[in-house]
Amino acid sequence: MKAFFSLFPANDFSLLAVVLLLPLLGAFVNGVFGRRLGKPAVRLMTLAVTGAAFAAAIATFVALQDAVAATKTVEMVKDHAGVAHEVIKHGHAKLAWTAWEWMRASGLRDAKLPIDVSDPSIPIELKFSVDALSGVMMLVVTGVGFLIHVYSTSYMAKDSAYWRFFAYLNLFVFSMLVLILADNLPVLFIGWEGVGLCSYLLIGFWYDKSPNASAGKKAFIANRIGDFGLLVGMFLLVYYTGALDWTGIAKGAQSLVSPSGAAQVHLWPIGGGQFQDVAFGALRIPLAWLQPNRAITITGATAVALALFLGATGKSAQLPLYVWLPDAMAGPTPVSALIHAATMVTAGVYLICRLSFVFVLSPPVMMLIAFTGALTALYAAVLALVQNDIKKVLAYSTVSQLGFMFLGVGVGAFTAGFFHVFTHAFFKACLFLGAGSVIHAMHARVHDDDHAQDMRNMGGLRKFMPLTFGAFAASTLAIIGFPLTSGFFSKDEILARVLVQQPVNPYTEILTKRNVDVWAPPGWMAWLLWGMGVLAATLTAFYMCRALFLTFFGEFRGWTIGRPSHVLPVDDHGHVPHGDHDHDHDDVSVPGAPPAESPRPITIPLIILGTAAIVAGLLNPGMLKLFSEQFDFLPIDHWLEPVFEEATHGVKLVDAHTMHSREWLSTGAAFAAFSVGSYVAYWMYIAQKGKLEAAYLSRATTLAAGFSGILFVAIGGVLLGLAGKDAFTLRMAIPWALVAGGAYVAYACAKERALGLDFVYERSVFPGVDALADTAASFDQGFVDFVIARLTALVVAALGTILRVVQNGVVHVYAAMMVLGLAGLGWFFVQPHAQLTTSDSGSGDYVVTAGPGPGYQFRWSPDASAAPQTPSFTSVDSIKIHLEEGATKTLKVEVRNAFSSALEVPVVRWLLPPVAVKEVTVTRATVDKPAKFELGER
Amino acid sequence: MIPVEYYVVLSAVLFTLGGVGFLIRRNVIATLMSIEIMLNAVNVAFVAFNRSRTESHTGQVFGFFLIAAEAAEVAVGLAIVLSLFRVRRTVRSDEADLLKN
Repeated sequence: MKAFFSLFPANDFSLLAVVLLLPLLGAFVNGVFGRRLGKPAVRLMTLAVTGAAFAAAIATFVALQDAVAATKTVEMVKDHAGVAHEVIKHGHAKLAWTAWEWMRASGLRDAKLPIDVSDPSIPIELKFSVDALSGVMMLVVTGVGFLIHVYSTSYMAKDSAYWRFFAYLNLFVFSMLVLILADNLPVLFIGWEGVGLCSYLLIGFWYDKSPNASAGKKAFIANRIGDFGLLVGMFLLVYYTGALDWTGIAKGAQSLVSPSGAAQVHLWPIGGGQFQDVAFGALRIPLAWLQPNRAITITGATAVALALFLGATGKSAQLPLYVWLPDAMAGPTPVSALIHAATMVTAGVYLICRLSFVFVLSPPVMMLIAFTGALTALYAAVLALVQNDIKKVLAYSTVSQLGFMFLGVGVGAFTAGFFHVFTHAFFKACLFLGAGSVIHAMHARVHDDDHAQDMRNMGGLRKFMPLTFGAFAASTLAIIGFPLTSGFFSKDEILARVLVQQPVNPYTEILTKRNVDVWAPPGWMAWLLWGMGVLAATLTAFYMCRALFLTFFGEFRGWTIGRPSHVLPVDDHGHVPHGDHDHDHDDVSVPGAPPAESPRPITIPLIILGTAAIVAGLLNPGMLKLFSEQFDFLPIDHWLEPVFEEATHGVKLVDAHTMHSREWLSTGAAFAAFSVGSYVAYWMYIAQKGKLEAAYLSRATTLAAGFSGILFVAIGGVLLGLAGKDAFTLRMAIPWALVAGGAYVAYACAKERALGLDFVYERSVFPGVDALADTAASFDQGFVDFVIARLTALVVAALGTILRVVQNGVVHVYAAMMVLGLAGLGWFFVQPHAQLTTSDSGSGDYVVTAGPGPGYQFRWSPDASAAPQTPSFTSVDSIKIHLEEGATKTLKVEVRNAFSSALEVPVVRWLLPPVAVKEVTVTRATVDKPAKFELGER
Repeated sequence: MIPVEYYVVLSAVLFTLGGVGFLIRRNVIATLMSIEIMLNAVNVAFVAFNRSRTESHTGQVFGFFLIAAEAAEVAVGLAIVLSLFRVRRTVRSDEADLLKN
């Protein structure tokens, strides 16, 4: 083993290439040759590459553990009781592999930053690295990915485009690995776009169905908005920190909050300008009122974090860009499990964890992340309440759980947030795969996609498919936070963290000393976020239990699918013929097989993932600390400690006593949330046998629709709350408008019973885009096509008519023209030309240089109006002058060339001037030196 | 020794004669001959200037190159004149305006 790892030194760890390139190989072989290879070969290929990639990932992880262990230091720390404890600390070890240098970038603001001065360009390498954070992600992606590949080989067995599916799926695994193993933002961006592409391809996998194709496009466009943010964030990072790799950004991150003017981004007036009244003669346009008393600025850190967060909201389906994820369920179910639940959608959380040291520099953005997360968790949970499609429930549940992760990282609990990514990967993948197994069984009976996914047609499946039920139930227990399952330890840990810590600017002390305002979140924010989180957890428990009970408990309702039994005649077997308009008539008479347990390639991954969903929480059972202070079995916590060490400076904890009581409170509330939610579901669907379902759905749909408006009211309300007693100033008009508009949206959506933001977008964004498109189209037809295209053609035709006269075919005329042209050239080259370039050294010394030519000689006059420096012409082609700040000087040069003496003839002199004269004015600007201050080391 | 200016003046005169002839004569054969005169004027200048440079014979070597180029040019030129004559039954250049407009 040791000999094996000695092949891979830490700075050239080429095993990463194996992990990365195997899935790419699979994608290539399946994509190019898959159709000819046939299904068994494609299955072998895809399982071999993902399995081998998983094995290589495990080997990498083992090597990483060795590297981390090598950085171990042991400290003796005394606790408050005076007892000494050994505290083991690890450094931030990473294994890196550089493929090649990709490009060099420029655009750094400040040359003082830690880069080579002689070469200020910033190298961007195609470099991959694995550290504690990406190591865990790598294992999840390859491990869960492998299980889902196994599952898919059976689930997709009947699909004619088998090879295409696995080519895309392998390509996805490759892109996701690029995303998490990237050592800098541009490489991460490749993976980011790659997973977006695979997501688009797989959502629209059955592209001959129009809704699937549009769902793919919707996902792509919503992601594009986020990608814009990520790109802007990258540019800003280059500008401020001069680096794009993780180490470099961490080194230069300090300059993001430097209080000097340069690290401030002016929001209003844009770019730090000045608004003044503009006068055109008698007409005065008043603009001065736009100038605020104090310019509205944000720090560079806030700008960067905002832009990166926009990228994260797009990929991780947070408000307001979540709309694509529920529609993404149009893709095959294993895709929903792998891409839209376990891995890709957590990329946003991963990005925030990866750049945690940048995000903590901006507490406002941290609070924004937490608030967005809490709001998304609650909003998606409300929408999940009224879904009947089993995959839609899980989709909204994913959005909601992603909201929890954002809530966690937003308050600075990066470990808790990331641990939820980890556990969520298991239980949500298992839930989706279980749903896929159910749909598979239902589809055998129903032959209709929509009806096969409708939970109202299921019920009692527990008896038909016990293994699927077991796995699904285990994962449901995990997601609703049943004590000691993984969800209990991750989600409820997030809720506890919300109460006990809040983000704080790590430079608060230094900045306050310099009279710089530092924003800190008010105390009620934590309680608000926590309340939203607990409410969302309650709803989670309810809707997940509802899904479980509707699907697996009670009687199987599939015998009477779609139509009430009293409308359709019951056939001889007591079955109601099923089907709808576009259904094959053959199918109506054939009721289809009763649901049955899925084959082994489907059930084995389910069992593994279901088990993991239950026990994965034991890797970080932080809750158990409540019972014993000595309890220290927190492997994930310790493992990730070095990664988030830098970020812990941006987190303020409440004191130990308050912390303990609040953690108890939170755990109690989380347990209550789980009990209440699941009991209500039990009462409705088991005790009352679902009699209330119809009434519940109708009322809850109206409420959930109206909730879209409540969102705006909530955002406006929080802004007003933050403004405090300034809430009644003009600046607060926008929050007030949000509150008022939100109330209207709530009314309109509830009236239309329109769920989600799609309706709001249709009424607000779509008309705007349509109007813009119409304007562009009429501009295209009226101006581009008419003025530019036709007018240009007309001018060209007219010119052609004129020039055709010259083209008379007589050789002599052509020759004469050639002679004329040559004469013109001769005339130009025989006379001297003066061309001056001024170079500025920056210190007030200027060098003015004249351009060279055949036999050129120069006579300089440092002052244009005075006599020349020397009486005769010399070969000195430049002059040096010094200027004080604000001074201006005009100099003159006279130039003669080799022909000049021959040209000193009366008539020729007039035609061909023998001496060229040129003047140039050099001005040195007055520079305002801003009072700069530097931030000391922390 | 005859000063170099004399040769240069001779060369300039020859070149001007050739150029004027090239521009005003309509007979293609005469036009070709004018071109020959211009080329030879250049040749004279080359050789004359080379006299002042004893260390190399670049000018004279270029003279030879020019003579070779002239021979090729005449061969091609006369061939063009012949085929023009076949098509248009004329050797006057202003009547050969097939490329008009």
